Amino acid sequence: MRTLNFAKRNFKELIRDPLSLVFEIALPLFLLFIFQQFDIPAENYKLENFTPSIILFGFSFITLFTATLIAKDRTSSFLIRLGTSPMKPRDYIIGYICSLLPIVLVQSLLFFLTAVIMGLTLTVSIIPTILASMVISVFFISLGILIGSLVSEKGTGGLGSIVVQLVCFTSGMYFPKDSVGGVFEIICKILPFEACLNILQSVLNNDFSNLTVANIVVFAVYFVGVILLSIIVFRKRMISDNK
Amino acid sequence: MLAIRTNKLIKKFKDKTAVNGIDLSIEKGELFALLGVNGAGKTTTIKMLSGLIMPTSGEIVINGMDMKKDVFKIKEIINVSPQETAIAPNLTVKENLEFMAGVYQIKDKEKKINELVSQFKLDEVLKKRAKTLSGGWQRKVSIAIGLINDPEILFLDEPTLGLDVIARKELWKVITELKGKKTVILTTHYMEEAESLSDRIGIMANGDLVDVGTAAELIEKTGAKTFEDAFVTIATGGEL
Repeated sequence: MRTLNFAKRNFKELIRDPLSLVFEIALPLFLLFIFQQFDIPAENYKLENFTPSIILFGFSFITLFTATLIAKDRTSSFLIRLGTSPMKPRDYIIGYICSLLPIVLVQSLLFFLTAVIMGLTLTVSIIPTILASMVISVFFISLGILIGSLVSEKGTGGLGSIVVQLVCFTSGMYFPKDSVGGVFEIICKILPFEACLNILQSVLNNDFSNLTVANIVVFAVYFVGVILLSIIVFRKRMISDNK
Repeated sequence: MLAIRTNKLIKKFKDKTAVNGIDLSIEKGELFALLGVNGAGKTTTIKMLSGLIMPTSGEIVINGMDMKKDVFKIKEIINVSPQETAIAPNLTVKENLEFMAGVYQIKDKEKKINELVSQFKLDEVLKKRAKTLSGGWQRKVSIAIGLINDPEILFLDEPTLGLDVIARKELWKVITELKGKKTVILTTHYMEEAESLSDRIGIMANGDLVDVGTAAELIEKTGAKTFEDAFVTIATGGEL
């Protein structure tokens, strides 16, 4: 109950920030629409590949705004008040994650609705893709919790922007990484964003030939690692902020 | 009966000793002020007494419960209004009260909120977002939130810091109304605040609780003319 109560508060804080809605929903929707107007002759920009890319792009802003919310809570003494209440550490982490999931769901539904209107074939595989995106979003939310726990509100802007850029350039959403090759390709393989995109594209297209074991392992390691790290760092910062 | 008892309470941050073995006894229903210059250890003491940080050593007993063993039970019966205003900025005043009522799992939420709205005269700001309120209103809301769980012990950390004289006097009235009903522990920099509001005053300096008494007792003990002079004498060890 305390967790849901906290999630409700976080949700209200997030949706009442118009900037967060613009970046999390309006900007990705605009990109989805505009890139389809150019008729670019590349696989990446086909709706069945670009819609998952846009979902991932939207998630990078979820990381940014989660980090900002947490950094704000830390600096405004709000977490000091809650720290003296009977709330337990798990209530905070689950509360932050749960507050973002409805936004993630709305994002995905809107992106798919737009894509279908623009010509994406309406298939049943959209449903498992949305479910997979919910799982992947937990990684992005946890990354936001981690960043928000580590830096100040000003710092979240910088680090959040880096995440947005990494998603754009290392996931393969705009260009195939093998067209660059070399060190860049290795970086793409080490970072989790290419794996995230491959998972979403594979599920949507019901074609798992491009999804490698390495993709699954990289995603799993980052998923578990970032969640655990966010819990540890958040707990530590709640104590150190109060010194 | 004692609401708070500490025994040789120590808090160290690396090499720095913020609180140096204080022994404190506060009666139920008492309004106790902790006074001291910056860095005296007041806020660290409040944070330990409210379960926000654990002491390096020593004992804290709140209403007969040991802080180390029963921290979550203790957190049910206390509340804190922190130094900086601690309210959710994008939530309305009503939503802030509802949220904190949810945190403390208050059964009859609406009844409690209505009581606080009437006690703190919050009607006119109830639907306003917290971030749009003046500093005085934000503090008032912050203290109202501090009473949402009907706490037996309320910690007010510099509740009137940065407020204008009228907002301060209004808050004094609210705090005075709590006297006898709740145990209130107040930290402040304002001498007149401690003198006029509190039953007893504890003076801290360099992490030590150097003296405790009523304002009149402390004035008499130091032979000072005013309470401010008495405070300066005690806090500086008579050097000023």
